[in-house]
Amino acid sequence: MILRADHVAGAFFAGVGLLVIALSGDLPTGTLSLPGSGFMPKIIAVLMIFFGVVLALRARESKPFASVPWSDAKHAAMVVAITAIGVALYEWLGFLTTNILLMFALLVIIERRKLLPAAIYSIGVVAITYVLFVYLLKTPLQTGPFGI
Amino acid sequence: METTILNLAHGFSVALAPTNLWYAFLGCLVGTLVGVLPGIGPLAGISILLPVTFGLNATQAIIMLAGIYYGSQYGGSTTSILMRIPGEASSVMTCIDGYAMAKKGRAGAALCIAAVGSWIGGTFGVLVLTMVAPPLATIALRFGPPEYTALLILGLIFLAYMSSSSLIRTLLMACLGLLLGMIGIDNMTGHFRYSFDLAELGDGIGIVPVAVGLFGLGEILSTPSAGAVKDIISPRLRDLLPTRKEWNEATMPITRGTLLGFIIGIIPGSAHVISSFLSYAIEKRISKHPEQFGKGAVAGVAGPETANNAASTGAFVPLLALGIPTSPITAVLIGALMIHGVSVGPTLVNEHPDVFWGFVASMYVGNIMLLVLNLPLVSLFVTVLRIPYAYLYPMIIMFCIIGVYAVNNSIVDVWIMLIMGILGYALRKFDFDPAPLVLGLVIAPILEQSLRQSLIMSNGDYLIFFSRPISLGLMMVSISLLALAAYAFVLQRTDWRTKLAEVEAGEKEL
Repeated sequence: MILRADHVAGAFFAGVGLLVIALSGDLPTGTLSLPGSGFMPKIIAVLMIFFGVVLALRARESKPFASVPWSDAKHAAMVVAITAIGVALYEWLGFLTTNILLMFALLVIIERRKLLPAAIYSIGVVAITYVLFVYLLKTPLQTGPFGI
Repeated sequence: METTILNLAHGFSVALAPTNLWYAFLGCLVGTLVGVLPGIGPLAGISILLPVTFGLNATQAIIMLAGIYYGSQYGGSTTSILMRIPGEASSVMTCIDGYAMAKKGRAGAALCIAAVGSWIGGTFGVLVLTMVAPPLATIALRFGPPEYTALLILGLIFLAYMSSSSLIRTLLMACLGLLLGMIGIDNMTGHFRYSFDLAELGDGIGIVPVAVGLFGLGEILSTPSAGAVKDIISPRLRDLLPTRKEWNEATMPITRGTLLGFIIGIIPGSAHVISSFLSYAIEKRISKHPEQFGKGAVAGVAGPETANNAASTGAFVPLLALGIPTSPITAVLIGALMIHGVSVGPTLVNEHPDVFWGFVASMYVGNIMLLVLNLPLVSLFVTVLRIPYAYLYPMIIMFCIIGVYAVNNSIVDVWIMLIMGILGYALRKFDFDPAPLVLGLVIAPILEQSLRQSLIMSNGDYLIFFSRPISLGLMMVSISLLALAAYAFVLQRTDWRTKLAEVEAGEKEL
């Protein structure tokens, strides 16, 4: 049997449904006349398992799992990793420093741009955005260790 | 009728105030840019820019955000015609004949017809909205929990039935959204659900991090920068006016697209996407020269472009009259109004007349602004596309982070956005449309509360949904739609969803 994309997707969603039911153990289901906080999540989780199984059963209509294109996965993973580092530093370093470093890293590490244009672009875009938000739109942005 | 005219006049006095005009203009401008840029759709655009409206009052905020919404419908046509890249999903059909017209040297005419058609479709939609929404809101005041439950169930089924992906896929996405919407404190019992001792999750997962993650970051992750730069056809300003023959060919498709788009817009689902597809199919079917479709038929541009704008406006009818989002975009707009302390629903027209009528009037103004913006400034908008994607996407990521963080000043929201971005990337790989997930997330609290209240009212009797006239009617429509879907499934009939997928994949003949 060929493993197809919908086999994987169906199993994933059925798994999520089972996980929700497992996590709902301490939530009271209640009765029909007085439904508890676990009533609705359990119904939806059961529906999700059902639809997941149907999707997997009808998987022959989908493409083989091996043909799902992952050529962009490395690019995506690098973007996620650098953004995650940026998010982790955001509250500590503040808007200006974090975003300059984030944009610079994306441009230099992933896009292989030259250092000087990447630095000028990063500093310029972040500075313009800072002025736009803080002074024109009066929307405060996260400040860093030096109050900027 | 007289009251409506008086209220509309009041709306114009609000919409034409210089500050509100400025925000309408800003919304239209940003919306056009959002529509022009591939990889950032109206949903992500509105979500990212939501924090920008925090300093504004509710009227200004909704005027600006709605401007972004219908502006993006206009802007999407530009990239479709000049680059054969749909700036957003509803412009897919315009690519076919719009680009073919551009190749024949009629890019300006195609843009002009698309802009005029969009204006007519949008303006007609606003006219009907003006007349229909207030009386509908009066009827909706009679809605109790069973009616709301039935309406929301119908909405979900409609969404699944009309969605461009398969029924099961849509229902799975809606279920995932509903489950995400149940995270946090249960309003009726005070129980914490699935919050893993994170205080930030007590209020639940916000729509902004989910929408920005799925549609903003998810799109960026799925778009490798290498393939993003394409050849652009630059239209000359003097070529913008269509010939008399082209106008004649566009007249009836614009009329049909207007009516079709508005009707479909009221129905839940990705209305503007479906309306443009159906309009194209109808125009081709009734054309005396169907062989010209795909080779630069004027009707292939006029019909779909008009229909998607009329549908965008039609989607505001259930939003303003019933407080029910029929698409993820209107769901975000509801969220935006709630942030500003305005509760959307049947009481909106009476409790916040400035917001309701100011917003309706601003749509008339906004449609004229877009017509003025889109034609002479088309070359300017196209210039944005010359910025290499490698430089564009880091900027979009920065705006995603600012936008999400600013809503609650919560870094947890930004992490949720990142997780949703990864989920959005994976969903695209497996051909899932994330839009129903967002809709499920938004309606989850309303659906759960109204269902539980209905059961408490009836002492656990499910027949309450079939014993009240309005809910009975709504439930019967839901059952009919499910029966139709089951019938189609049994017959294994190739329906319009499959055809749309084929067209999107490889522009197969309709």
